[in-house]
Amino acid sequence: MTPGDGNAGQVAAAWRRAAAARARAERAEKSAQRYEAWAAETGHTPHVDLAAALRRSAACHRSSADLQEAFARRVAAWGQGPGERPRFMSGVAEVCGAESVALTLVDARNSQLAVAASGEPARAAQDLEFMLGEGPSRDATTHRGLVFASGEAIETRWPCFGPALTALGVREVAAAPLDTAASSRCLGALAVFDPRPGLVGSRAFDDVVGALTRLVLCDPDADPELYGGTDHRDSVQQAAGMVSVHVGCRVDDALALIKARAFTRGVPLDALSRAIVAGDLTFTREGPS
Amino acid sequence: MTTPRQHLADIFVELAGGNPDEPLDIPLLLTSLVMRSRELVGAYACGALVTLDVSPTEAYASDEGTRELVLGAHTEGQGPGPECRRTGRPVPRTDLRGRVARQRWPQYTPRALGLGYTQVAARPLGGHDHAVGSLTLFGSEDMPLTDEGLRFSQSLADIVAIALLRDLELNRSRTQTGQMERALISRLAIEQAKGVLAAQRSLSVDQAFVILRGHARTHRRKLTEVAREVVEGQLTL
Repeated sequence: MTPGDGNAGQVAAAWRRAAAARARAERAEKSAQRYEAWAAETGHTPHVDLAAALRRSAACHRSSADLQEAFARRVAAWGQGPGERPRFMSGVAEVCGAESVALTLVDARNSQLAVAASGEPARAAQDLEFMLGEGPSRDATTHRGLVFASGEAIETRWPCFGPALTALGVREVAAAPLDTAASSRCLGALAVFDPRPGLVGSRAFDDVVGALTRLVLCDPDADPELYGGTDHRDSVQQAAGMVSVHVGCRVDDALALIKARAFTRGVPLDALSRAIVAGDLTFTREGPS
Repeated sequence: MTTPRQHLADIFVELAGGNPDEPLDIPLLLTSLVMRSRELVGAYACGALVTLDVSPTEAYASDEGTRELVLGAHTEGQGPGPECRRTGRPVPRTDLRGRVARQRWPQYTPRALGLGYTQVAARPLGGHDHAVGSLTLFGSEDMPLTDEGLRFSQSLADIVAIALLRDLELNRSRTQTGQMERALISRLAIEQAKGVLAAQRSLSVDQAFVILRGHARTHRRKLTEVAREVVEGQLTL
């Protein structure tokens, strides 16, 4: 796709989604006011709880509108200049005031199913988590709670992942689970790298996480593909299939071999996988050749 | 109203669906709605019709005779309850002894009169965009429906409707989570199968996909299943 192709349409669609989210926020806000008035009249706690829930919901919708607007502005600006197509997650990073952010969706066994990153170093960090099987997103989805580490704590908390992350220049990382009351398990996590001071643990951050959960899942505008920004690591999975045949092992083991090779050689997982798929690199029983 | 404050507060909790951490007991909630409406509105009897998602319509009432009346009205598609559920708009208080009622609901009206009701009104459960049901209120000679009572009945219906709609949304979100996960896992298996097949037959991954898809089509099987069998070595193409 060249800049301009369907670009105006995508920008318009993002503005429309933003407007719809603002309208939803206003409706929730109005209902909340009604319940608050009712609660004041009757002194009744369920009304207070309901009003609070509606206010939280309104805040999530408003945050969702902010994310859509940030995306719309970026795509509009990109249409007039060179460079890479803006990702939805880069708008999320902007709203969070973080260097970069990454969203990870996981299966019931907590394995990464798909990732979406705003750019570097988040992208590299998610690959490191995928390769090493430890890191903030994994902890956030496992314990269904907020994870935060900065400075040396990064390296002590994750002995393999930590040093690799700080080597990327990251000084602070946080991850929050994407959770809903309806789900029996956590769907994924949002990781933020070098966030602005005070973001983690703030109401605004909770709202962004809530907005993203809805955006991936339950909103009328829900799109797990994040408008084309989700990476399924297709090449990596294809390469795992090929290596399993060449080496004569299970696909899971082949995937582990590829991850180990990429990590020890310091090669991006995707580049290594593409080389395997293209036939430029072959794994054999004896090792790669 | 003579109802003590605390009693009223308890009723609100009950109608809001009780503890939010526990699954919503829909029959219990709707039974509470009709019983509490009769008590608080001062109606002679109350009934409710509810249709949730794809489930069949269910009828609840403050007594068995009324339940049969409300359910019969639904089956025949006649009466204030079904009308209100369909349009999402209230049916105003109507005198069952008058000509309007007889003309509008010819089968329904004599049955309602036979149960001793002289007045009827209906209030929607949920707004007119997404009404999930209706609450029907009956008055008698001794217990006529009052303006204040009817206004109050709409508030009770609103509380229950919010609980019902929230539960519906929760269920839909649950379904959606499952669907999303299956789609992602299925994609994983298909990409892996492409790799396996490409390596086995020295093909490109695109050519491998054509073979996978072709096999699934000819054998009328799901692509995901075929892919999984290829990955697990149970199927060689």
